[in-house]
Amino acid sequence: MVVIKVRDRSGTLRELKVERGTLLMEALRDGDFGVEGTCGGACSCGTCHVYIAPDWAARLAPAGEDEKAMVEAIGELAPLREGSRLSCQIRLDTAQDGLDLEIAPAIE
Amino acid sequence: MGSPNLKVLLESKTLERCPFPIPAGWFFVDYSENLKPGELRNVQLFDQEWVLFRGEGGSVGMSDPYCPHLGAHMGHGGKVCGEHLRCPFHHWEYDASGFCKSIPYAKIVPPIVKREPILRTLPIKEKYGLIWAWFHPACEPPSWELPYIPEIEDASGYTGSRRGSWTANTCIQEIAENGVDTAHLKFLHGAPMIPPVEATYDGPVMKLDIGRGYILGTAYGPGLNVMRFTQQGVTATMISYTQPISAEKSQMNMSFRHPDFAAGSTELHIAKKIVDHMIGAAEGEESAGFESVDFIVWNNKKYRPNPLLCDGDGPVLQFRKWFKQFYVETPAELRQGQ
Repeated sequence: MVVIKVRDRSGTLRELKVERGTLLMEALRDGDFGVEGTCGGACSCGTCHVYIAPDWAARLAPAGEDEKAMVEAIGELAPLREGSRLSCQIRLDTAQDGLDLEIAPAIE
Repeated sequence: MGSPNLKVLLESKTLERCPFPIPAGWFFVDYSENLKPGELRNVQLFDQEWVLFRGEGGSVGMSDPYCPHLGAHMGHGGKVCGEHLRCPFHHWEYDASGFCKSIPYAKIVPPIVKREPILRTLPIKEKYGLIWAWFHPACEPPSWELPYIPEIEDASGYTGSRRGSWTANTCIQEIAENGVDTAHLKFLHGAPMIPPVEATYDGPVMKLDIGRGYILGTAYGPGLNVMRFTQQGVTATMISYTQPISAEKSQMNMSFRHPDFAAGSTELHIAKKIVDHMIGAAEGEESAGFESVDFIVWNNKKYRPNPLLCDGDGPVLQFRKWFKQFYVETPAELRQGQ
């Protein structure tokens, strides 16, 4: 199992325990954090935006071109941070145990 | 007497009628006058269905039918909006280049939508009063342009409204091969002799001189052929534009033109007779045009990749080598379901 720390949109910190190999977006969606993940990982909807904690951001595999383009597009409608990522592009394994993140605001 | 050569005797059991993909090139879609501004319809061409539409400003588009969003068939319930094709399902709109131009409810436009076309469309040209589409199995842009044909493009000097359309149950290569198969002109068509033929090849263009100037033909890729027949100093022109409907079905279409001779003149009479002769039987001609004799062969033959040719046959193999350039491999990972 992998344990991650998630700050939800109300500011509450919750610990989430998931199976190794789970997609972060699916863990958040199924854990009722308000993450929709509409496009299923195609980087075309922007509904799974999260802020990865600064000390973790560099430890994850870097974002690909499609993810970067989508994050840039989200930036027109929501605040971006250094750790802005699409959670559908992050898979959770033992190396991500303890990952710390915050759910970004929904696009209105 | 040797033992039977089974490779020779049994080969036809493994032969196919049309063992070819759809060739790449410019192909006729429809007559310009048949597609009005704002009109949309489904057409069967290149072994699949397409949505053909004309924007309200006059531009023509031809797209894959299935919306890249959730797969609705845009030729059933879709609409032309301005210059765009609009899907009936969620009103996503596409331009003739395949770019999605509107998603009426998305707050964030997916980056791919801004970056590149997401709907397959074919490059379109309107020329000679005809709509042309560039078909390439790997969606590459046109590698050559449609030629100038004075007989059908010049504002004056030529006339002739005669057109024809015939269905052949075979592929374009098999139809076009008859152009270099001069021996069949004597035996199938009944020409008085086997005419000499000279063929020259230059990229997508093939030139044929049959009977030392009697027929001068130029093929521009697999989808356009201009053949000029000259008798008694009078030349008439057949512009032929065959469509690959499916791997084994072609629609042959032709326009016939000649100089604008005076009514009642001998020249006009000769020109009209040449046109009759191009198609079928004609007054005073012993040989028959393609309509009378070629279809029975085309519709029933098999393709022999290793034909048994003899001296006196035309340059069939050179023709096949030239035609091969139009067969483009579809990328392997995309081939399934094609």
